[in-house]
Amino acid sequence: MPIALLGLSVGIVLADSSVVTIALPEILARYDVELATLAWVLTSFNLALALSALPAAFVARRRPAPVFGVGIVVFAAASLACALSPSFGGLVAGRVVQGVAGAAVVCAALDLLSHATGADASAARVWILAGIAGAALGPAAGGILTQLLGWESIFFVQAPVVLLGLLALRGVRAVPVPEPVERPHLGANAALLLISGALVAALFLLVILLINGWRLEPLAAGLVVTIMPLAAIAATRFGGAITPLWARAASGVLLIAGGLAALGWLPHAGAGWTVPPQLALGAGLGLALSALSTRALAGRSALAVHGGWTIAARHAGVVLGLLLLTPIFTTDLHRSEDNALAAGTAAVLDSRIPPLDKIGVARDILVAVDEAKDEARIPDVQEVVGEPDDPAYVDLASALQDQLDRAVTNSFSRAFLAAALLGLVALAPIVLGRREVGS
Amino acid sequence: MRAVALAAAAAVALVVVYLALGGASYAPAKVANPCAHREWRNPKGLDKVAEQIVLSALDGAACKLGVSREEIVLAFAGRDSLKRFTREHGISERELEELVRSGLLRAVDDAERAGAINATVADLLRGVARRIPVGGLLDLLGQLRGF
Repeated sequence: MPIALLGLSVGIVLADSSVVTIALPEILARYDVELATLAWVLTSFNLALALSALPAAFVARRRPAPVFGVGIVVFAAASLACALSPSFGGLVAGRVVQGVAGAAVVCAALDLLSHATGADASAARVWILAGIAGAALGPAAGGILTQLLGWESIFFVQAPVVLLGLLALRGVRAVPVPEPVERPHLGANAALLLISGALVAALFLLVILLINGWRLEPLAAGLVVTIMPLAAIAATRFGGAITPLWARAASGVLLIAGGLAALGWLPHAGAGWTVPPQLALGAGLGLALSALSTRALAGRSALAVHGGWTIAARHAGVVLGLLLLTPIFTTDLHRSEDNALAAGTAAVLDSRIPPLDKIGVARDILVAVDEAKDEARIPDVQEVVGEPDDPAYVDLASALQDQLDRAVTNSFSRAFLAAALLGLVALAPIVLGRREVGS
Repeated sequence: MRAVALAAAAAVALVVVYLALGGASYAPAKVANPCAHREWRNPKGLDKVAEQIVLSALDGAACKLGVSREEIVLAFAGRDSLKRFTREHGISERELEELVRSGLLRAVDDAERAGAINATVADLLRGVARRIPVGGLLDLLGQLRGF
């Protein structure tokens, strides 16, 4: 029971890295901020977690139980503060506190798991699996909660769930043994950083493409991206047979890069086209993260400190990914907007609708695009074109929708390809340190 | 090593299939070159003839400015878009209007030569093209929707 509860706490905290992605449009509507500012809901949590993971780990190795308990209570309180925040600044502040408290929970949980399971290797296995499941399931869980109960429910629901972790303290007697702290595994942590940066595209951009680009409901988008965590969990479960560890990590990286490149070269708009890339990404994520985290922790003392290094590396990677990919994506979004407007206008001018209607329809589209831009959404072409019974208008609506789908999908392309490249770079520390990784 | 080779093969196969299905070219359609020759048709109905004249005029102006005719249509969609367009292309609104107006006059000549309109209608259209502001003309055409 304590093992499951500790794993649950780790999963909940690490899910917070990506859980609000699907809720971003609703948060934007609630606080009315710029798109670039909105990204701080994600960046603040990951940055705080990355910066505080190592200090938290050093404190946690001496007093794991109190650090875990305080971390859980503060994390729950910060979650409620996020849900009830009257301002965007308050929400970001709440996310920072969540990140700091989350670092304490995750690092202390590794030491407590070691005591609960009686072996460092078993503790690391549970901790790694919980982390992968949490990070990968985050967008799906967030989507389901956002649609059913609103974005605030993500924070309302996680507060009592994470508090359940306190029950784990009843069954674990943690007696810290002072150990000298060894040097971190640079190759594994560097690869974790790069892979996490690449996975930003899968965990964040894909969700934005599904909801804001292709106008899927949050619940549907949440279900679509469930494919990735399922594949990740299956790969973590069955990938253990791949040895040595560097080969498992390299296989994972190649699948991640392939999945991201396929998302960058989608042949058509539609959730179905994301399924094969998601399977590759999920399998790659499961293989690479489990192999690299295992290598970073295996046989190294103190366990919590090396757990802290992996958390710092992974979440610094997320911040790096957000900083690198967001400008590419936003620049391409503006470029695609211009291309889509020109292609849409051409579709109107070349259409079979009455000539005198063309100017009016072109203007209506422009007004709809401006209104949609203010609300960070895609215009409803059918609504703008109207006349659903006239074949000429039906053809025009279909042509416009096609151009819109092409423009939206295309605007994500370079960011996915850049993420694939970032993922491939992770092969360097894996291959260069393969003797160390395979030992 | 077998696992690495299998993963590499799966990743490459996925990418190759997506590229083969058109992944690299799934982008908005390119707009037509306004300087390219477009054959003059003789459509039935005054509104269709007027449309062809306007499109031909827009092509002429767009070709001289080095933009697409769609960009000019979007520029005339409102005051803000017109200001933005003229600022971006370093011309005044008056110069832009003159470009479209001269294109209109040339297109009316082309239509008359091709027999799409008779001399009386051509004179009438030339008069309209010389006097009415281009933005106003587009407004007028927009208001005629449904008639």
